[in-house]
Amino acid sequence: MTRGDKFLAAAILLTAILAIAFPRLHSSLFPVATSSARAVIKAQGKIVREVVLSDSGGRSTLVVNGRAGPSTIEVEGKRIRMKEANCPDKICVRQGWIEKPGDSIACIPGEIIVRIEGAAPLDAVTR
Amino acid sequence: MEMKRIFSTRRLVFLSILVALGAVLHVVEGMFPIPLPLPGVKLGLANIVTLFAICLYGLRGGVAVATARVLLGSLIGGIFLSPGFLLALSGAILSTLVMAWLFKHTSCFSVIGISMAGAVTHNMGQLLAASLILRSSAVFYYLPVLLLAAIPTGLITGYILRSLLDRLEKTGQLRIMKME
Amino acid sequence: MMEKKGRYLPPLLLALLVVAVVTAPLYLHREKEYKSDRFLMDTLVSIRACGRDEEKLKEAVTEAYAEMQRIADLSDRFPAPGSAAYKASDVCRINENAGIAPVRVHREIIEMLLLAKRYHALGKGAFDVTIGPVMDLWGFAGDRPKVPPQGKLAEALSLVDSRKLIVDEQKQSAFLERRGMKLDLGAVAKGYATERAARVLKSRGVASALIDAGGNIRVIGKNAGKRPWRIGIKDPRKSDGIIAILSLMDGSAVTSGDYYRYFETGGRRYNHIIDPRTGYPAAGNMSVTVMAENAGVADCLSTLFFVLGAEESMELAGKSGGADIFLVTADRRILHTPSLKGSVEVRSGEDYRHDQGR
Repeated sequence: MTRGDKFLAAAILLTAILAIAFPRLHSSLFPVATSSARAVIKAQGKIVREVVLSDSGGRSTLVVNGRAGPSTIEVEGKRIRMKEANCPDKICVRQGWIEKPGDSIACIPGEIIVRIEGAAPLDAVTR
Repeated sequence: MEMKRIFSTRRLVFLSILVALGAVLHVVEGMFPIPLPLPGVKLGLANIVTLFAICLYGLRGGVAVATARVLLGSLIGGIFLSPGFLLALSGAILSTLVMAWLFKHTSCFSVIGISMAGAVTHNMGQLLAASLILRSSAVFYYLPVLLLAAIPTGLITGYILRSLLDRLEKTGQLRIMKME
Repeated sequence: MMEKKGRYLPPLLLALLVVAVVTAPLYLHREKEYKSDRFLMDTLVSIRACGRDEEKLKEAVTEAYAEMQRIADLSDRFPAPGSAAYKASDVCRINENAGIAPVRVHREIIEMLLLAKRYHALGKGAFDVTIGPVMDLWGFAGDRPKVPPQGKLAEALSLVDSRKLIVDEQKQSAFLERRGMKLDLGAVAKGYATERAARVLKSRGVASALIDAGGNIRVIGKNAGKRPWRIGIKDPRKSDGIIAILSLMDGSAVTSGDYYRYFETGGRRYNHIIDPRTGYPAAGNMSVTVMAENAGVADCLSTLFFVLGAEESMELAGKSGGADIFLVTADRRILHTPSLKGSVEVRSGEDYRHDQGR
């Protein structure tokens, strides 16, 4: 093995570690086209709610319990935002509305993540 | 009209042997269980043969062997023209191009390093094809696993190739194979 | 040459070890899915179960199918008299002894009958499993259904009355009071069987599964344990269209529609869901989908609400223990219960009018 080889091996290893640590990098590099989307809401690592985002969705609010207490998420048709949160700096609230797939709102003290994903295929059809 | 042959008969014979070897490896490595729900993602063992072809016959040889062994391997394995075939082809072509370039234009890497680079680009090519077929970037979730796997598999294939080349050189076979 | 060879071996072995160590646990612990299909109850039943132990999944699914087959055999009213299937069917025995004597039956039949009676009462007669004689006249079970003559229909209709179905829970018996009365459990058996199958899976430790019994959907947990199941609602007039997508978790979705079994004559469509009060097919809706935790309940309700019509159904939905409705009326309006708002995605397009603001 030459020095170059060892360097290459180390570089690959490093990239792999980075890829594990920052998985969101790829979703912003490869945005996916959708016809209708849904928002996945995760609190403390677990998916707690999935909300369908569509033009005919209307307005609704829901409460999610994060590490810092309850937070209110508001959905208006295709958009979603963090309306109120129990965190000190409220960066997540100031972010406002998101609506494109891949966009996300994160409340770090509350460990809440709201992320918009693309449409997925159906599991079954009732008839 | 006289047609210029790309490869002499002698080379054609050796290339064919390599293609056959590559196809067998392609099918055999398909039998290895990979813990990912992606069809056709493979370890890249057949890269040994591709890299071998590159060492002897340069880019043209490498591309010829790579494409032929994917075609043949897929026909044998019954996945011809399936998504698995497209993944294998993307991986093979991409890694062949990268390995050939590295082989010709860099001197700091030995066969082992080039093999690792080949394994990495092989997997990247497969992921790229998968993401296009599935229209989803979610496949890149598996990138770290594949990258990590590429290091040892690249090492293994590199070492195998290295020792193969050494032996062939010692017995004089390599010189014969390189001949026009 | 020999020393050179020795130099390659340790790194080679090390590399192999790394590959094995990394891939083995990933491979063994990956979430696996076991899919299986069976032809049961006159339809295709598919079960998808997710988990880490494939053997366990397979066993659970096999047992679930066996349970469904058992319910099917008990509730089948069509086997020829004298055949083994006839003797095995509780419903056949009940029908045979109509007007004669109570019949001792299995607990599952009792449960189905109690469900049926409950919704008969709730719907004030719009749901009735003693519809057998009327169904036979229409001939939907055979190849040539036809509109029965008025006189015969009235006669058959007089035999339809769930109040004359006596169920004794203590003695585990069922009795049809008048001779000629016939049970037809078509509106409840499939849903009930599906629910029982789900219970079997759960008791076997399956935490994520989807049962599709010819369109009767029952899900356990989430898809691969991660996200809700996405269930489409079929467009009642377009064979491969979807008009809505539901997010379903731990519940069931059953649809009654006028597009599944019907015949057309004289320019009119006659579907197989008969209104027990009139003896004629219910005509107000194209498709009614009920979401409830229990698939047996959803099956009964979907038939009941199909007969009742939009307004009445919406009202009753509240009284049926938290069931949700998604309805497409005959004049192409789409309505649904308000609690469905966050989990249904309507794709009405130009063909249907989505009635919002409820």
